[in-house]
Amino acid sequence: MSIVKAAGDHPLYQQLVDIVGEKKVSDNQVIISSYSKDASHLQAERPGIVVMPGSVEEVQDIVRLCNNTKTPIIPAGGRNGICGSCLPRVEGAVMLDMVNMDEVVNLDEDVMTVTVGAGLRWAELIHRLHEKGYKLGFRGPYGGNVGTVGGSTSINSIGYAASKFGPSDEGVVSLEVVLPNGDVIHTGTGWNKDAKLFGRYSSYNDMTGIFLGDHGTLGVKTKVTLKIYPAAEHKLYGDFGFENLQKATDAFLEVQKRGLTEELNLLADRQSTDTFFPGFLDSHPEIHAMFASVVQESDEQLAKRKMEIVREIALNHGGKDLGNFASQMHWGEMFNLVQPLYNNGFWLNTCHLRPIPTIPKMMEQMWNIFEKYDLLDKGIKWIASCLGAERTYATGWVTLFPPNEEKMELGLEAWNEMLDVIMDTGGCPYWNGLLWEDRVLENTEKPFIETYWKVKNAIDPNGIMAPHVFRGTD
Amino acid sequence: MCSGGLTRMEFDHLSKYQEDLWLCARCGDCSLADKTVASDRDVYMPCAVKNVLGFEAYSCRGRIMVMNDLIEGKIEPSEDLVDWAFTCTTCKSCQETCTATADGIRLPEMTEALRQDLVEQGFDMEKHHIIEDSIVSKGNPYKEARNERLDVFGDREFPEKADVVYFVGCTSAYREKEIARTTVELLDRAGVDFTILQDEKCCGSVLLRLGRIDAFDELTTANIEAIKETGASKVITSCAGCYRTWKVDAVENGYEYPFEILHITEFLDQLIQDEQISFESPEEITITYHDPCHLGRHAEVYEAPRRVIQAVDNVNLVEMETNKRYAHCCGSGGGVKGSFGDLANDVAGDRIEEAERTGAQTLVTACPFCHRGLVDGADYNKSDMVVTDLPTFLLPYLKGEKGKKAEEEDPLKKQFMEYLREHPMIFDGLKKDAVIDYEIEGDRFHVRLVDKGEIEVNPRRAENPDVELMFSEDAVEELFTKESEDEYAARFGEFFKDPTDEKWIKFNLRRNIVKLLMKGYRKFAQKAGLI
Repeated sequence: MSIVKAAGDHPLYQQLVDIVGEKKVSDNQVIISSYSKDASHLQAERPGIVVMPGSVEEVQDIVRLCNNTKTPIIPAGGRNGICGSCLPRVEGAVMLDMVNMDEVVNLDEDVMTVTVGAGLRWAELIHRLHEKGYKLGFRGPYGGNVGTVGGSTSINSIGYAASKFGPSDEGVVSLEVVLPNGDVIHTGTGWNKDAKLFGRYSSYNDMTGIFLGDHGTLGVKTKVTLKIYPAAEHKLYGDFGFENLQKATDAFLEVQKRGLTEELNLLADRQSTDTFFPGFLDSHPEIHAMFASVVQESDEQLAKRKMEIVREIALNHGGKDLGNFASQMHWGEMFNLVQPLYNNGFWLNTCHLRPIPTIPKMMEQMWNIFEKYDLLDKGIKWIASCLGAERTYATGWVTLFPPNEEKMELGLEAWNEMLDVIMDTGGCPYWNGLLWEDRVLENTEKPFIETYWKVKNAIDPNGIMAPHVFRGTD
Repeated sequence: MCSGGLTRMEFDHLSKYQEDLWLCARCGDCSLADKTVASDRDVYMPCAVKNVLGFEAYSCRGRIMVMNDLIEGKIEPSEDLVDWAFTCTTCKSCQETCTATADGIRLPEMTEALRQDLVEQGFDMEKHHIIEDSIVSKGNPYKEARNERLDVFGDREFPEKADVVYFVGCTSAYREKEIARTTVELLDRAGVDFTILQDEKCCGSVLLRLGRIDAFDELTTANIEAIKETGASKVITSCAGCYRTWKVDAVENGYEYPFEILHITEFLDQLIQDEQISFESPEEITITYHDPCHLGRHAEVYEAPRRVIQAVDNVNLVEMETNKRYAHCCGSGGGVKGSFGDLANDVAGDRIEEAERTGAQTLVTACPFCHRGLVDGADYNKSDMVVTDLPTFLLPYLKGEKGKKAEEEDPLKKQFMEYLREHPMIFDGLKKDAVIDYEIEGDRFHVRLVDKGEIEVNPRRAENPDVELMFSEDAVEELFTKESEDEYAARFGEFFKDPTDEKWIKFNLRRNIVKLLMKGYRKFAQKAGLI
């Protein structure tokens, strides 16, 4: 059913209706408006038309149509990323709203993988796996209530349980991708039409990796196959405080190196803890940094021993046991942690990856910026947190919260300096998008980006997929 | 649609929500979230309208983007925009799901404000003109004769004075007549001293929902005066829409009245608790309950209808996947049923499917709009699901004798409740109306802060608690041996931080952390040694 009728002005309107039906296509500006932003302040072009495909065949037909007419096309998932990656850079683009492609296609208990539609949201996937007694490795980005598997793996999202399992891409075994010419490929063991989807590396080079983190530039992911694990019921939590960030970082590094936790999250200063959880450190005036740790295992003794070791490490580094309320809340409120932070204002993020030992140096420079702009006195709070990732690196999330439009200009000025600091201190953004692209390109080795463009031009000679991405935003 | 011929509008009413419009960071929980397992809430794809229509513009996130574009002049008002504006059922599911502000982004209010702006500047729907004219001239939105309002009760006469007024509502009086009839019969058989207003007028709910508020004052004033003349201390209604209008909207619009407003479910709950009535089904049946948005999310009445249903012997209540705060809407509210009937049927059809998945034979609700919508939804789906309204459901099961004595409370629960009553300083720091739900291995009660240092301990589950605390029996047994609040708090903290298989405490936060901090939970948690 359509209430708001499509305008029918887009050149491909009727052909798209022929493919997916009238209810799934709109170029009405009321509808388009709701696809004009993601969860960041960043803005680009509005889509020319929005289409909601329901099958790989429909995606193929749409992509072929776009390729034949040289019409730009951009796939979008939950559209709650915070780097502007799903926003078109050119006018008139066909945006694919992929959220209807959300089925659990196959749960293969023999090889412990699940194949899902790329539009499935992480939280629902957790729900569906839970019903069958399984869990994911990487659980989803912090916006995983809405973020989709296809979206996250297109922009290297990171989040829950990355401390143990690495970012979203690490759990991928195989992809089904519609190429810009409309052909479909299946990566990993999917090259063999008679085989199960059980391994990523088989017979050829790792074709999966080409499409991971491609920001939708090389094709449309329609299915993703992920590793799964037996459900693990035994969870233990620990919060540990330190008198300075250096000690906290040293302990954090050791815990992360030893691979003890499902989730390990560092809050780099008192202000961060206070923004995130006001009052948490009131009884601990000497504490200036802390980490929350979550151990999850299928065996109770194993879980207990791991948490004991985490505690020993923390105390050996001069840490203080703060109980476990913060870590319980952190894990129990999965995918709901960041939304309440909007109460402090609209966020300006600096999401990136970095070696753990560089955290204090990066924060020194951040504190200088906060002081230079007198942010707290001017009503702008921040959170600086780091999530242990995979083995021995971490995310860096230093986020400002301008409380209203008036404070946005000041916030943006400080934030731009912060982005420079991230790059100058050896940080590497995990996603790109409007947020990072110019700075990333400035630092990218020429042969690297040239190789990317050779691949892109070979796969997408008409340049229809997410045009202008990785070319810079200016 | 009548166009005022403007292309750039002022949005005086909507602009009052500038802060919400700015703070929505488009996380999309209101649109696509499934919190069922990941964070143990019964949230699943909260927007029933978006679930049918698909595009983001129909979700709260999308609506806020469109509203921002409207205010900034990036979109102009048009017939399409008016249609879009009236597709929201204002069911508040998005707001309950939203954790971006203490109370959630207030989309229902914003939608009504936008509708007001549109109506005031000539952008509206012809159907809504007709409804408003009918309410103004005939006292009901259905163009029915004013003097036929009470025909539903036949020759039944009502006294001029009574302790209770049954406010029938237009929909029960003219359309869903079975609800009106069975409510009256229930009240009669329960021996309630009640009457009905001879010249009852529409409560005005539909006008508020459609952004046409001009006539609201006259209606409300007239109804208040008429109720006062009966001398009633209580007004009960079987219409969730009327209930919300009286209980919430009238108060928010500055009206005061010397009587208590109760929904029929609350009133029956009281009668059952007071052992005045009892119910029994001759055979075992399984039913599920649909929370009307006006009664549930908008007025926070979730438990009373369930207690009433569970008080019927041989009735087994099963919950739908989304229920209470997070229940999917039936599709009838906010003017959608009248404006877009097919959309309402589609939404109701989805809710019928949800009810079917429970295995229940009957779907009970407590609102004539929901009843009509769900009956139509079942027809639309060609479903065998029986849909009935609560008074109609209950009437055949009403027993002749007075109610049976309530079961004796579990001694452990009683002791714990008594202990908490004697130690109100455990709750020191919490603000008025903070509510904590306690569960001792399945048995529930709740504590409400009446005022500083003053608590109320109720032997029932809370309607909408801030926090749920779950205790093992052994933990409780030890806790109420503690003589001082400080000792209690210290042990409480230990059970939480270092639980054993025998002695443990768990918690669920049911409110946004900002809301919890505003209600004083920071000090509560510190005192208990949690932080």
